Amino acid sequence: MRFLKSITVEQTPPSQPPLGHLETTVMDLLWERGESNVHDVVQRLNRPLAYTTIMTTLDRLFKKGLLRRRKSARAFLYSPRWSRMEWEQKRAGEFVAGFLSGPQPAGELLISCLVDAVGQQDEALLDELEKKIRLKRKELYQRRKP
Amino acid sequence: MMGSYLFRLLCLSMASFFLVHLALGAALSLLAPAAIRLSERFRPQLAARLLLLLRLAPTGLSLLMVAGLLAPSYLWLEPRAATEPIGWVCLAAAALGLAVWSFSIARALRAVGRSLRHIRHCQRAARKTYLRGEAAPVWLIDDPAPLVMLAGVLRSRLVISSKVVSALSADQLAAVLRHERAHSRSRDNFKRLLVLLAPGILPFFRGFSRLEQEWATVTEWAADDFAVAGDCHRSLTLAAALVRVARLGAVPPSPVLVTSLMPNGMDLSTRVDRLLHFVPATAKPARHARLLSGGAGIMLAASVIALMAQPVTLHAAHEFLEALIR
Repeated sequence: MRFLKSITVEQTPPSQPPLGHLETTVMDLLWERGESNVHDVVQRLNRPLAYTTIMTTLDRLFKKGLLRRRKSARAFLYSPRWSRMEWEQKRAGEFVAGFLSGPQPAGELLISCLVDAVGQQDEALLDELEKKIRLKRKELYQRRKP
Repeated sequence: MMGSYLFRLLCLSMASFFLVHLALGAALSLLAPAAIRLSERFRPQLAARLLLLLRLAPTGLSLLMVAGLLAPSYLWLEPRAATEPIGWVCLAAAALGLAVWSFSIARALRAVGRSLRHIRHCQRAARKTYLRGEAAPVWLIDDPAPLVMLAGVLRSRLVISSKVVSALSADQLAAVLRHERAHSRSRDNFKRLLVLLAPGILPFFRGFSRLEQEWATVTEWAADDFAVAGDCHRSLTLAAALVRVARLGAVPPSPVLVTSLMPNGMDLSTRVDRLLHFVPATAKPARHARLLSGGAGIMLAASVIALMAQPVTLHAAHEFLEALIR
C-alpha cells in the first residue's frame, strides 16, 4: 500500500541555471512525451546511456526546479514543471533582466543589439519578398514570350 | 421600485435590448470561427460584407426587436393609467444595457475626436496637391514616416508623405493610390465607425475581436483586389510598392478611423504572397444576381414586418415584457 501511494515532492527553483547538452535532450523528451520514469527516458533516447546516468540527470533537473516528480510504485515519475514556451520566456526574461541590471553601457548595448537584430530580420524578410517578386515577374515575362 | 409609464418603457427597452443582444452576441461568438472559415471561400469583397453584416447583426436585430416589436406591443397593450413595480432583474438588465451603449458611444466619440485631431494636424502640416493621373487631390505631408492613409469618416482625404511619393515609381504610386481609392469607395472608415458604435456583449467585454480582426484583414485584401483589377502585372507592382514602403521605415500607429496602407499588426509577408500567387477575380456579381439578392432582402424584411404586426406576436411580446418587469 505504501508503494501504491503517490506522493508529490516539489522544490522552489532559484534563478534558472544553464542546461547541459544531455539535460536539454532529456527536457525535450519530457516536453514531447509528458510524464515519464527513468526507464522510459532511457528507452526513448537515441543514444545508449546508462540507467544511472539518466537517473542522475533527472534528479539534477528536479533539484534545479525544472521537473516535478511523484512516486508511483517503486519508481519516480518526472514531468516538466513549465511548458517549453514558459521555460523559454523565463530564460529570456532572466537573461534580459540580468543584462539590464548591470552597468548602464551593458543595458544600452543589449537594447542596441536587439534593435539591430530585429532590423536585420526585417531587412532579410524584405529581401526575400523582393526576390519572390523578381522571380514572379521573370516567370510572367517568360510565359508571355512565344 | 415603482415606475411611471414612460420610465417603464425605457427600462424595458434597455433591458430587453441587453438580453436579446447578449443571446445573439453569445451565439455569434460561438459561430464566429465557422463564419470565418466560410468567408475564406468567398472573394475578399464578399467576405468583408459577410463579416461586417455578422458583426453588426446582433445590434441591428436587437434594435429591430425592441423598436419594431417590444416597444409597439408595450405602447399598444399596456394600460397608461396603471403604475407597476419594476423588478430588480429588469433594472439590472436595463443598467447593463445602458452601460454597453454608453461604452460604445464613448468609444466611438473618442475615435472620432482622435481622427478629427489627426486630420487637423495633417491639414496644418500638409499641402493639397494633384498627383499625375489622379483626379482627386491628395494631401502631401513632409513626415519622416512613410505615411499613406485615408483620413476622415464621411469626406475622406488621402494623406501621403513626400518620402513615399519620391520612393515609388509612377506605376507603384498609381497602384497605391488605387488601393486607397478602394477604401474610400467602400467607405471603410465609416464602416469602422459603425463597428465601434455597435456595443460589445458586456460593458467590459466586447467579445467580437476575432471577427473584427478578420474583417480588417479581408478589407485590406478587397482593396488590394480593387487596385489590381485582375491584372498580374498590377498585382506585382502593388506587391513591390508594399515592400518599398515597408523599407522606408516603421509606420506610427494611426487613429482607429484612419485607414493606412500598412496597418499595424498586418502580416506583410502573407499579403505580398497573396498578391504573387493569387490572381484576383475580376468578375463582378451579375446584375440579375444583385437584383435577386436585393429582392430576397426586401421580401424577408416585409415578411418580418408583417409577422411583427400580427396581434398574436404583439401579445406574446407583451407577455415577455410582463415577465421581464416582475
